[in-house]
Amino acid sequence: MDASSSAPALSAVVPDDTVRSLDGAIQSVWRIKLAGLTLAAFLPALFYDLTHLFSPDAWLPFGVLSGTVLGLGLLYVLVWPRLRYRAWGFALRPEELYMAHGVLNYVRTVVPLRRIQHVDVSQDLIEREYALGRLVVHTAGSRSSDVVIPGLPLGEAERIRDEIKRFILEDPLTEDPV
Amino acid sequence: MPASSSPASDPDASAGPENADAPDATDAPPDAESAGTEASGTAVDSASAPASSVTLGAVQEPQRLHPLTLVLRVGASLPALVVILLPTLQNPSSENLVSVILSVVYGLVALPAIVLQYLRFSYRITPKQIVIQKGVIRRQNRSIPVERIQNIQTQQNLVARLLGLAKVTVETAGSSATEGSLEYVSLSDAHEIRQAVRSFQHRTTEGAPADADTDDAPGESLFAMDLPRVLLSGAFRFSLLYIALIFSAVQLIDPAVIGNVVQRAVHPGGRLDQIAEAMGAHPVLTLLGTLLIAGVLGWISGIAIHLARYYSFSLWLDGDKLRKRHGLFTVTEGTIPLGKVQALILRTNPLMRVFGWYELEVQTIGMDVNEQGHRVIAPFAQYEDILALAQQVRSFDLPETFGSVSRLTIRRRFFRYTLALSALLGSGVYAWPADWWHLGGVALPWWGFGLVPFILVWAVLQYRNHGYAVRDDGLYIRRGVISHYLWILPTEKFHVFHTTATLFQRRLNLKTLFVDTAGAATFAYPEVIDLPAVEADAQMDRLYRRFQTLYRTRIEEASGAPDTRLGIEDRPRLPVSKNEA
Repeated sequence: MDASSSAPALSAVVPDDTVRSLDGAIQSVWRIKLAGLTLAAFLPALFYDLTHLFSPDAWLPFGVLSGTVLGLGLLYVLVWPRLRYRAWGFALRPEELYMAHGVLNYVRTVVPLRRIQHVDVSQDLIEREYALGRLVVHTAGSRSSDVVIPGLPLGEAERIRDEIKRFILEDPLTEDPV
Repeated sequence: MPASSSPASDPDASAGPENADAPDATDAPPDAESAGTEASGTAVDSASAPASSVTLGAVQEPQRLHPLTLVLRVGASLPALVVILLPTLQNPSSENLVSVILSVVYGLVALPAIVLQYLRFSYRITPKQIVIQKGVIRRQNRSIPVERIQNIQTQQNLVARLLGLAKVTVETAGSSATEGSLEYVSLSDAHEIRQAVRSFQHRTTEGAPADADTDDAPGESLFAMDLPRVLLSGAFRFSLLYIALIFSAVQLIDPAVIGNVVQRAVHPGGRLDQIAEAMGAHPVLTLLGTLLIAGVLGWISGIAIHLARYYSFSLWLDGDKLRKRHGLFTVTEGTIPLGKVQALILRTNPLMRVFGWYELEVQTIGMDVNEQGHRVIAPFAQYEDILALAQQVRSFDLPETFGSVSRLTIRRRFFRYTLALSALLGSGVYAWPADWWHLGGVALPWWGFGLVPFILVWAVLQYRNHGYAVRDDGLYIRRGVISHYLWILPTEKFHVFHTTATLFQRRLNLKTLFVDTAGAATFAYPEVIDLPAVEADAQMDRLYRRFQTLYRTRIEEASGAPDTRLGIEDRPRLPVSKNEA
């Protein structure tokens, strides 16, 4: 993978530093969310199939449409979270937050800690069930100014948030952040 | 260097007593107004520049907006009244009593609301903040710290200009919209407000008294455009937007009305009539005629827009700030602190490029909706002048040669555009009626595939126009054929670093490098598209390393020691051991 080939250059600052993966439980969270999405696509398809069950000019035999949606959806639910999980990696380094993620669009991002405006830890209902937190990092950047690391154990997310906060507050440079 | 902007650092000897005095001075006026004004005057007098004491006294107590604001607001609310009364106006009869009653109710509600709003709105400017109190039902008390203010802009539209009023908007970093807006104050008040805030900012940032620059004393003039230059600049730009607006407006009007107008404009048998008839004779001629008219309209509207926006454009340097003023009907005046310039952008289009004309923009944080976070510094100037001007805004070292991206980008772009064209033409062929225009026995859309060679040329042009250079002082990127950009991103202002690879880029082992800077969203981003993957990652690391080194050096210079936060014990890291335990 690309990350492994170029990671050493970045981690030269801290030799023992490694790119970490998310908490495995995030896969279940993603699965539940994708299942909901699949259901949202499946129900209209099923409705369409049912309403056209007895129509004489049906262009598809019964169940083809809803079956396809369901099949693809299930595949999506089963495979996608795993791929996404495997693609995700991040590291909190002395001066930056590094992350690499994306299945189709592979993205490597370096956020210098001094550029962070503020940090949140957020949690939705499903994530709360699994005691996971999402680290949301806000920068003043012009595009994708919010960077999100999903699926961290809540305690760890809060610890990272506090570390970043401390780093920013102890900045010896008193000039404006931007 | 801004030394004491952070509350954490010790206040300077000169700033200390002044900051302590200031609240007393501002608290005084409610007790005894005339005495308070004097007190505030003397307090500031003793602390700093006597020249600014007059301005301070004038704005430190709560101020109302200019009374004429009432007139303007009532005027602005009239269109709503017309809409309510529209049925009555069209058809005056007793049946439309409802709308008359509605308008009376409207008057009873809206007019007192305007007056109340006016009465309940007050602003005041203290050495530390601008305080705006407003709201009739829900009181809002907003204070904007002076050191956070990025920009104070005054704007005058035509009516305001006739009445000698101005709208003052205050922008800060970190908020996506204008944070405070004073609509309207008298022009002299507007100048005083800006003057006062500026002198306060000078004092908080430098701990030294503000240089007594009298208002409107032109600093070093950097750039100005006279009328011919503005017209010339407009002539180089088409404004397709306004054509679209005109056409959509035409759609709304009853065709019979247009017919009448055209009939009246075109005398039967006249030359215009003949031309129109000749054009209607053949579809190709009609098409060409339409394009010609659209082109001329776009050209004229381009000139008109430019004239309205940039009439008597002038830019001058005022201490560490750029100030500019321009506009025909609406005169806009704004300030850009040099330190807040995030990136320099040189823009041009092919026509301008042939004659060596360029436009200079800077990226700032305070968001200006009209300019998409980009401020035009010089709308139109020759390349050398633009470069010299840009150097004055921020010094840089433009590289002689730019590195190019991978040649595979031509292939990628060619495939992408051809696919898009095929999708378009394919659906066109599918939907093409049999009795419509057929050329050579096939439906017209098929002929669209004749454009494929041009796509190739286009892709090659895009490749040729795309280049980048990584330098010690920053990243230089140029890109674009129709609107050609040159971005100059200083290392100091780098924000977030990305490399991305889409599914298709990964197949060709390519990546896109993007270094974000602070600012608002725009149309075009300084991306280096389709670099070889290894190079993209290496360049990102290199850029980040430069950024890191720059700030480490700065910290060492400021504190006299390496960054303590990076010590083995103190540096941020994940508590791996605790987590695993």
